[in-house]
Amino acid sequence: MEASIWLVGFVVGVPCGAAALALTRRPGSPRVLGGWAAAIALAASLTMVGVTNLDFSSFAMSLFSLLALTTILLAPQRDLVGTRMPGLLLILGGTLAAYSATSLAGIFAGWTLSSLPHVLRWFSAPGPGPKSWAPQVALGASSVCLALGAAVMTWMPAAEGLGALRGFTLLILAALLRKGIFPFHSWVARAHEDGTPGAAALLLNGHLGALLTIRFIIPMLGEASRQALPLLNDLALFTAVYVALLALVEKKPRRILAFLSVSQASFILAGLENTSQTGITGALAYWPVVALAITGMVAVYSAIEARYQGTDAPRDLLGIGARTPRLAVFFAASGLALAGLPGTLGFVAEDLLFHGALESDPLLGVALPLATALNAITIFRLFSTLFLGKRVNQVPPMPDALARERWPLTAVTAGLVITGIAPGLVIRAVSPLAEGISRLLTD
Amino acid sequence: MTEILSKEALLLSILAAPAVLFLLFSCLWLLGWTPHERVMANTTRVSYMLMVAASLWLFLGGERRILVSMGDWFQAGEYRFPLVLFADRLSLPLIALTAALVGLVGAFSVRYLHREEGFFRFFVLLHLFAFGALLIFAAGSYDLLTAGWELVGITSVLLIGFFSERRGPVLNAIRVFAMYRISDLGLLLVLFVFHNNAGSAVFSSLYTGEWPNQTTTLPPGIALLAGALILLAAAGKSALIPFSGWLPRAMEGPTPSSAIFYGAISVHAGAYLLLRGAPLLATSVWLSAVVVVVGGFTAVLASMTQRVSADAKTGLAYASMTQVAIVVVETGMGWYTLALFHLCGHAVLRTLQFLRAPSMLHDYHRVHAAAGGHLARSGEAFHLVPDHLKVWLFRYASEFGFYDQLIDRFVTSPVTRASEWLASFEPGQRPRVSETAKPGEPGGRIIAQAAGHTAREAD
Repeated sequence: MEASIWLVGFVVGVPCGAAALALTRRPGSPRVLGGWAAAIALAASLTMVGVTNLDFSSFAMSLFSLLALTTILLAPQRDLVGTRMPGLLLILGGTLAAYSATSLAGIFAGWTLSSLPHVLRWFSAPGPGPKSWAPQVALGASSVCLALGAAVMTWMPAAEGLGALRGFTLLILAALLRKGIFPFHSWVARAHEDGTPGAAALLLNGHLGALLTIRFIIPMLGEASRQALPLLNDLALFTAVYVALLALVEKKPRRILAFLSVSQASFILAGLENTSQTGITGALAYWPVVALAITGMVAVYSAIEARYQGTDAPRDLLGIGARTPRLAVFFAASGLALAGLPGTLGFVAEDLLFHGALESDPLLGVALPLATALNAITIFRLFSTLFLGKRVNQVPPMPDALARERWPLTAVTAGLVITGIAPGLVIRAVSPLAEGISRLLTD
Repeated sequence: MTEILSKEALLLSILAAPAVLFLLFSCLWLLGWTPHERVMANTTRVSYMLMVAASLWLFLGGERRILVSMGDWFQAGEYRFPLVLFADRLSLPLIALTAALVGLVGAFSVRYLHREEGFFRFFVLLHLFAFGALLIFAAGSYDLLTAGWELVGITSVLLIGFFSERRGPVLNAIRVFAMYRISDLGLLLVLFVFHNNAGSAVFSSLYTGEWPNQTTTLPPGIALLAGALILLAAAGKSALIPFSGWLPRAMEGPTPSSAIFYGAISVHAGAYLLLRGAPLLATSVWLSAVVVVVGGFTAVLASMTQRVSADAKTGLAYASMTQVAIVVVETGMGWYTLALFHLCGHAVLRTLQFLRAPSMLHDYHRVHAAAGGHLARSGEAFHLVPDHLKVWLFRYASEFGFYDQLIDRFVTSPVTRASEWLASFEPGQRPRVSETAKPGEPGGRIIAQAAGHTAREAD
């Protein structure tokens, strides 16, 4: 146990230390510093997987370290300058701290630390253009709600009556704000639009709102959860369909990716709030699907954005795939995994999620396929717009996936496909937690 | 040796071969190696010849029922996803037909697509399609069938957009993808119905007896619901009304893919789904009547449209739609064995016609000239129709009963408008997104734009 604590300290400490170093020393190659910090965090997280015999925390920490490493390796140079690399490392350190937290105070610390770079606008694009305050307000408000909720729960440990209701409301509000559940979804689109999409995706892919729900809200406030979670379930479902409709007519790829991310991530919350073990397992298995697929899509989009001017709001088919066929394939593979293509983990997770949903909430069983169908259409439309429609000689010369990009993207694609063909590892990692949540919600 | 040649091992090998080819070539390409055309051609030839031999061995060997149970793919709580392969008198001929026709189309494409930019892409997608189609026919449960169904759908769409340098195929691919996704909801929802009521979607738990004399274990009301959902999914894949509009658009792909998808295998997948679900249809005379009406109406309309089609491939697409719809009518009437024979015969004939399409016009002109311009005229009977009705019928047929326009007006447009209205409330968003939209841009009515671009216009 002591070894685990030291290991957790090391995993969290390395990226935070590297962030501090990057802020004070301004290294010549931020990618090398960040890449090594994320790689060490990944190696230590994988060691924890062995020590803890694949519990959910170590699995989630390994996954998030991999996402951070992928984001850092794939980010265009412009997304790593100044405060941006320390910002990515702080998101990594904060999220890992939240994953390893055993108390509300602990998750609050990680939650706030990971929000800090966005609240301080470390990722804002330079220039005089108008910038929205929505991400700062939403993330700040979520931290305040979490702090107040933690305070209420600390002062009223019995968690009964009005105190429990207040604590529950504040904690749920924090989770909804952080996950971008309707009506708080707009900040996610603005974070992708005004800052660097890679950083916004990394922040969202921590899924700390879902973590707060499964780790603290349901175990600490079982009765309130049983009463209120069906409502939240409906809200998450509404978000999935509503945001899918917004994505259907959106024209800016950054906003489309943000909406896809929110809509599909709502499945996780919707699945967690039904009582069947199958559905909860599906929701937890969907976590890595959304994380890996969105990271892959955002990374490829950032790569082509850095290569080609005019991708921000294309008015015609761009046909970039004629020059970058491998990037196109990586984008398509990630997108199709997100849409639940058979042979990827997306298919397995959606299958579990939908079947579990039926056992407890038939509405979920109808709304989720509908939202998935709408999102699949959006994904294919975005893919076509970016990559198809022109001859090679109509597209300016640009490099296809560089070696630096090819290997991480291959890892993301392989991760989605291998776990899709043999999903046992992922299901084994999430099953005990799913069983526990299901028991808490049904007992 | 006996175990290697066992019927279960052969069935598994037939199914696995195209999947292995797809994964192997995809991984090699991603790692930077593009195989030479000759490598692709030879591996395809050898693999499919072996697959055809194995499937004929099973088919002609008199096997009536092969069941391969490989345990559960995954499980959580009480839910299990069983990996069950099943081949009976319905699926064995279709497995053999798929292996033979995909192999044939592969052999044809080696020359047809020689030095084409997308040669490698075509073959990789062909292997993925073959795996999906074989999975549909060899699946022992609707869960597994759905996996194959979706793979066939996505490969179909990617091959429609094969000539990705032109905007027409790309817009049509988007439209077809949207149609597929909406109609596939029927198949996803029917899984829920099966699991909720029978506890499983394995064929053996839903049907008793041997095809075509099976009965369902489900109560009549549930069977009616399941049958209706299956009809929805089948209508999407087999281009029945109201989803028929996608088939002529699909002709944008290369001719060999049109042959295998829309002449031979993919378009018949819906008919297969109905034949597999025949016990469900048989429980309700009303549902059977709906199947007959949908099939009959599609057949008449497609036949009319085929007569006014201006190009060979679109004409073939509508002719294909006509015959598939007649297969559906036969299924609705309960003539299952006839429907299976019709399906197989049509698949073979239509593949030949599609593959001959590029050289057919040339041959026709040659024959026409050789006959001194006196080939028999067709359509003489239409002289009996009054002129104003002839014009109306021509318009009605050439627009395929205005079904696409109806879908655009009553489905696509309201959904787009509602989405735009919702989007106008988003902070930082200009109202009415599509007002500034141009064809092809993300946002606006790209699906509706795709609707306006038919294969005929592209030609």
